[in-house]
Amino acid sequence: MNHSAEHLADPELRPARCVMNLVRLGSFHASRLSFTRSLVRQMAREHWSVTRARFDLDDDGHGVAIYRLDTPHNRYHGVVFSQALDPEKRSDRVIAEAWDVTFAIVEGEVDDRLLEQMAANVPLQEAGRQNPRLLVLSRANKSLRNFGDFVDALASGRQPDPAWLTRVGYLYRTTAVYGNGKFGIADYARLQQSPDFRRPFSAQMFAVYLLRHFSIEQVNHIAAMRAPDVAVPLAPALQRYLGIGNSTGLGMAPFLINHPRLIQQWVYCREWALAHARQRRPDAASRQRLLDLMHRVQRHFEQTVTEDEAQTRRNRETVAALTQSIGWLERTPANATLWTDLLDWVATQGSLEAEELINTLLIELYPDLIDAVEDNLGCDDQLDLQPEMRVSALKQLIESRYGWALDYDPDDPNHHYWFWYRSAEKEEPRLGVRAEERGAEKEMPVAIGPRVYRTHQLLGEFLALAPNASVVEFLMAHPHQKECVRRIQTLAQTPYGEIQANLWHRDMKPMHLLRTKLSFFGASRFDPKSDRWVRVTLFQGAPLLDELGGQWPVGGRRLAELDDWSFPVEPQAGAL
Amino acid sequence: MNVSHNELEGICRKAFQGIGFSEGDAADAADMVAWMEVHGLGGIAALKKGVHFLLKEGESQPPSIIYQDADVTVLDAHGNSILGNASLALELGYVRARARGLSVTKIRHCHNRILVIGYLSRLARRGMNVTAFWRNAHDPLTELVVGFRAGHPIPDLCFYSLEAVPDDIEKNDGITLVMANHVDLMPGLRSSQPLTNLIQHSEPDLVARKAQLLTAGMEVDDDLWKTLKSLADRLLVEATEDSRSGAGAGTNDND
Repeated sequence: MNHSAEHLADPELRPARCVMNLVRLGSFHASRLSFTRSLVRQMAREHWSVTRARFDLDDDGHGVAIYRLDTPHNRYHGVVFSQALDPEKRSDRVIAEAWDVTFAIVEGEVDDRLLEQMAANVPLQEAGRQNPRLLVLSRANKSLRNFGDFVDALASGRQPDPAWLTRVGYLYRTTAVYGNGKFGIADYARLQQSPDFRRPFSAQMFAVYLLRHFSIEQVNHIAAMRAPDVAVPLAPALQRYLGIGNSTGLGMAPFLINHPRLIQQWVYCREWALAHARQRRPDAASRQRLLDLMHRVQRHFEQTVTEDEAQTRRNRETVAALTQSIGWLERTPANATLWTDLLDWVATQGSLEAEELINTLLIELYPDLIDAVEDNLGCDDQLDLQPEMRVSALKQLIESRYGWALDYDPDDPNHHYWFWYRSAEKEEPRLGVRAEERGAEKEMPVAIGPRVYRTHQLLGEFLALAPNASVVEFLMAHPHQKECVRRIQTLAQTPYGEIQANLWHRDMKPMHLLRTKLSFFGASRFDPKSDRWVRVTLFQGAPLLDELGGQWPVGGRRLAELDDWSFPVEPQAGAL
Repeated sequence: MNVSHNELEGICRKAFQGIGFSEGDAADAADMVAWMEVHGLGGIAALKKGVHFLLKEGESQPPSIIYQDADVTVLDAHGNSILGNASLALELGYVRARARGLSVTKIRHCHNRILVIGYLSRLARRGMNVTAFWRNAHDPLTELVVGFRAGHPIPDLCFYSLEAVPDDIEKNDGITLVMANHVDLMPGLRSSQPLTNLIQHSEPDLVARKAQLLTAGMEVDDDLWKTLKSLADRLLVEATEDSRSGAGAGTNDND
């Protein structure tokens, strides 16, 4: 279900000027459509089986573990290398050179020769050369406090305090999860035909999910080695409540700009599902289900801890708006316009996060809508020129579809305050102040607004001289405009895809860009560490491997129960 | 070293930008090299042959038009590589064919012509029948004919040498493109001259080759990779104490 003219005309889709506003995108939450949710459903539906093929860890948990994954179609292996790491070397930044664990997903079998090659290269990450049978390459660092506290508790025969996981929801956090040909691993083009991993980022998400399983097995192992007669394994409820962290910086931002057709597809599928959910007729059962979800989400946000003042304020506003919304919904019986009335009412509460939460929960009510779109999240990413288009038509296209870009004011220093660049230090993306820092001549061309503004200006000048000219004639005169022109022509055919913000503007918050992408990944517990660096949690609350692999009938209630793990709340002590 | 398609395309794009190509030209040129290599048609070898010329060329410029009417366009690439220059000339031929049903485009004085095939694939995907023809040298005289059917981004391709060399002293450094809106132009091999050293690739051959190379990866020699990497590094900004804070992260993440 790719976008098309008939879908463009769908009156229920929200307009791009609303959806693609950067602050709103930065208020998106993980949803039923997110890649983590989608992967877990697929694993459950197809009874994916993961078995331990090797677990050579010493008493401190250092060594090699290999897991075998059997899907109905193929066999894969996850290989984890765990090592002792000097705390001084523990950095989440891309410039780090060593990590607590490094790991990879391999297509097919892992023989001794491949394992030897991997042992020599996977721990080096970017500095190694990786085998083309590797689908994903990643690394992670420990949350030292959680890890130590968990081992101490389990080794002394008691369960860790669930509140520790409410504060930091993981034992490990990944700092990069590489796919698509990076450092010699397999190209995404190979996975596009794979029945297992053709959805965007699904192989990467599986790698993260497998690391979660390893972290549980590793912490149990260390506790058992330390106190063989006393140690207890981590309780299933805590295993479920354990996720994997992710530490992310500006590196995510260029992806959103450089893959606009993919972003269009992700946003479009979400908006399509939302538009159709709003059209469904509410009944007493769906109203009650929404109320139940709202209560859980409210509790989840009450329990979300961050040191960041702005995010703490946003979380409080979200909880307050949810409380009000729950009250409103409890007073309002089910009727034909209940969903739109609720959304209209929430919009008056002044919390974009709460608005987008209700949207997320509405999609949750109608699984069939997601089933209809989740195989359509990938697409061809190419931008195509339409050289025969008249210059006048291109100019009009910009005016009708890129009005936001024409708000750029080159005379206002605030409009070109920042520049984006890659540092010589492992190509780490960074932001600089144009008037103060060196390197603007090498900036990354990610600020689409000012570029479209410039194209529009040149088109105006060219049109005055050649009113009937075609785009190719314009480009022969202005060859540097080719990339921007084909981007405009391609994206103008779709509703979403272009983030409507000037990424040079002084008021631009990079955090919104990071959060946009992370919400589609399925991240929760947004914990900003600065305005351009965030920690999140993935798979917190997700079913465990032994729950997914069990022999139960496909579909029906069991699958729905397994899928219902979003916005997890702290387990009660009595449940351990 | 063994590299992936995405790595090859990425390093080429950055290297071409490092040379001075505009963003669009760099992306197109990188796509042309990687497309040829992943179809087993020697993209890396062609790049290796041309990279030193590219360094001298610097910023990319389109060929200049020396003759045009509604059906025929003749352009001069001034001895530059097809990589940084050709795409707009090809797009001009495309526009003429769209308008008139058929167009002929001649680009004179260019090298690295084999790489043009990567871009023609794009025109075919957009629904254009394309045939390209050029001669390579006089001794032996070789001809290359490549044909794309509209909607098929993988071509049929024939490469052969002619035993009888015509009495022609004009340098073979041009390329002729015929594009047609509605007619498949790929000729059968019906030359009146004996064809030797025939290399023929059909669409299924190239599809199979692509699948194989995506699985196994592609070989790039270390020297070329180093050259590309050093060109790509021209885009990087040297780090300073101030710039480290520009990533917005701390330097120690023990918690």
